[in-house]
Amino acid sequence: MQIEFKHVLPRPLEEYPHDEKSVWKNDFQLDFPKKVLLNASSGKGKSTFVNTLYGLRKDYSGDIFIDGKNIAQLSLNEWISLRKDKLSVVFQDLQLFPKLTAWENLTLKNDLCQHKTDDEIQEMLNLLGIGEKRDQLCGTLSLGQQQRIAIIRSLLQPFELLLMDEPFSHLDEGNTAIALKLIAQETDKNKGGFILTTLGSHHDFVYDQELTL
Amino acid sequence: MLKKILFRNNTNFQFIFATIGSIIGLSALLLSFQLIMDVQSFHSSEEELFGPNTVVIQKKVTKLTTVGMNSTEFTPEDIQALRDKDFITDVAPFKSADFGVQIRELPGEGIPSFVFDGFLQSVPNRFMDIEKDIDWNWSENKDFVPVVLPKDFLMMINYGFAQSAGIPQLSAEMLMAARLKLVVHSSKGREEHVIRIVSFSNKISSILAPEAFLEATNAKLGEGNIINPNRVFIKTIDDSYGELEDLMEEMNLDIAKSAIDVAKVKTFIAVVIGIFGIAAILIVLLSLMGFVQYSQLVINKASYEIKTLLRIGYSIKSIVKTFVNQLSLIFGIITIISIVIMLCVKFFIVNTWLDENGIQLVESSIFPAIFIALGTFGLFIISNFLNIKRTVLNLGKE
Repeated sequence: MQIEFKHVLPRPLEEYPHDEKSVWKNDFQLDFPKKVLLNASSGKGKSTFVNTLYGLRKDYSGDIFIDGKNIAQLSLNEWISLRKDKLSVVFQDLQLFPKLTAWENLTLKNDLCQHKTDDEIQEMLNLLGIGEKRDQLCGTLSLGQQQRIAIIRSLLQPFELLLMDEPFSHLDEGNTAIALKLIAQETDKNKGGFILTTLGSHHDFVYDQELTL
Repeated sequence: MLKKILFRNNTNFQFIFATIGSIIGLSALLLSFQLIMDVQSFHSSEEELFGPNTVVIQKKVTKLTTVGMNSTEFTPEDIQALRDKDFITDVAPFKSADFGVQIRELPGEGIPSFVFDGFLQSVPNRFMDIEKDIDWNWSENKDFVPVVLPKDFLMMINYGFAQSAGIPQLSAEMLMAARLKLVVHSSKGREEHVIRIVSFSNKISSILAPEAFLEATNAKLGEGNIINPNRVFIKTIDDSYGELEDLMEEMNLDIAKSAIDVAKVKTFIAVVIGIFGIAAILIVLLSLMGFVQYSQLVINKASYEIKTLLRIGYSIKSIVKTFVNQLSLIFGIITIISIVIMLCVKFFIVNTWLDENGIQLVESSIFPAIFIALGTFGLFIISNFLNIKRTVLNLGKE
């Protein structure tokens, strides 16, 4: 997958000065598969970057292209198809279904794509230390546990690019390392890449490219 | 799973109100439609014989008529004046026999011996709506002559002649099943024919025979008298009672009113049920709006879930389908309950009441009402489908 930014600037960030290395107001191109780190302090627009690239925000100037196609021209159905087969995400606010159990949240996604077996999903839960929480309502889980459910959910579909918006903000270093390893494995299996936004920490992972805001 | 996410906490007063409203409205709509169909399918024996909106008119006999200063005959000008009326679609003077007529029993038919002097007339075949297996057309080589007798004939036999002669009374069916003898005579000769009674009529007081028979016999036995018609068959457009009353005044006419009264009552009942039906349509429309609001409410309550489903790759189609499937189930149950209520009311209340009051209706098919129920079901689904699709699409664009 190829991502191309041409002089993109979110309207809420128009008033702020932007570094010449910033992704905002500059032209750059990313060719996946590769692992990209987007490291910036709070308020610089990390979530705006993820949500804009995922098609949820349209309040920007400039042009963004995915595989040569201007995303402003994509219809809702095209977005839905892209999100099902090529583009996965871990939202900062997770966007889980609090009234469904952890397991239901995961199978809801997996039923759509039939990407993993139940055993594989259970294995992922066990790996991230929440195997025994599968039948608990998501809304009753801690933020860290919910974050791990959201990470697993994002891996239950084929993808060329996985967008992750501060996915480890409520995880300790040990769990972060396990999650990151799982994400890297699944990304390689999919022959895809990811963009990981973080708030200063590199999480000790080896990335191919770093973006700044 | 989608149903679980989208329809949680959906029971509310809006839903209960819309469901009850739909059941009441649809049941009332189906029932009123079915009853209108039943009432419309009711035909008096006159209508069955002569078709709807046919009236026999004659001029009133007055004192002047008796002394020969006023004629009850219709002149060609009178006939033309009738034809010129907008509400009259067909006019046919009765043709009269120019010979004498007697009806007798035919030996071997199980009918007691009797003689009835009558007067033979005919109207064009287009006024005769004989649906039974008897052919109204007549030709020389036919075995019998079909006739329509005045109902008074039966009354005279049963309540006059039979009692005085000490013979058993005869039912209309018995007489219609038997053959009788028709004797036609004049100074030119005498002929006997076998006849079959096709029907009894309140509208006419003469023996009605096929036009061909009357013409053939007039040619053979007629005395040569030119007879101007004194009774005329007319066919009117629907709901022209007012014009008919005016015509009666204008031309000093007598009209056999029973057939008009049946038509009037039918129209009146149809109007009353029609008003009931319109009220039912309004209830159905209101409950439809209630359901649209209900589905809107469910969507609004589930807006986070819908947006999230679209964000994780669920298609608009699958979400809309989940809503529509659920609503189809609800509407399907409502439709079936309404049909059952309609049938129960019709068969156990209305029909029982009609039977108890001695009113016989030819029951019309229930399928048109079922088609209306299915049509309403379709309307509910389509209107909700369009609303849901539009709302989900808007949520997806947020």
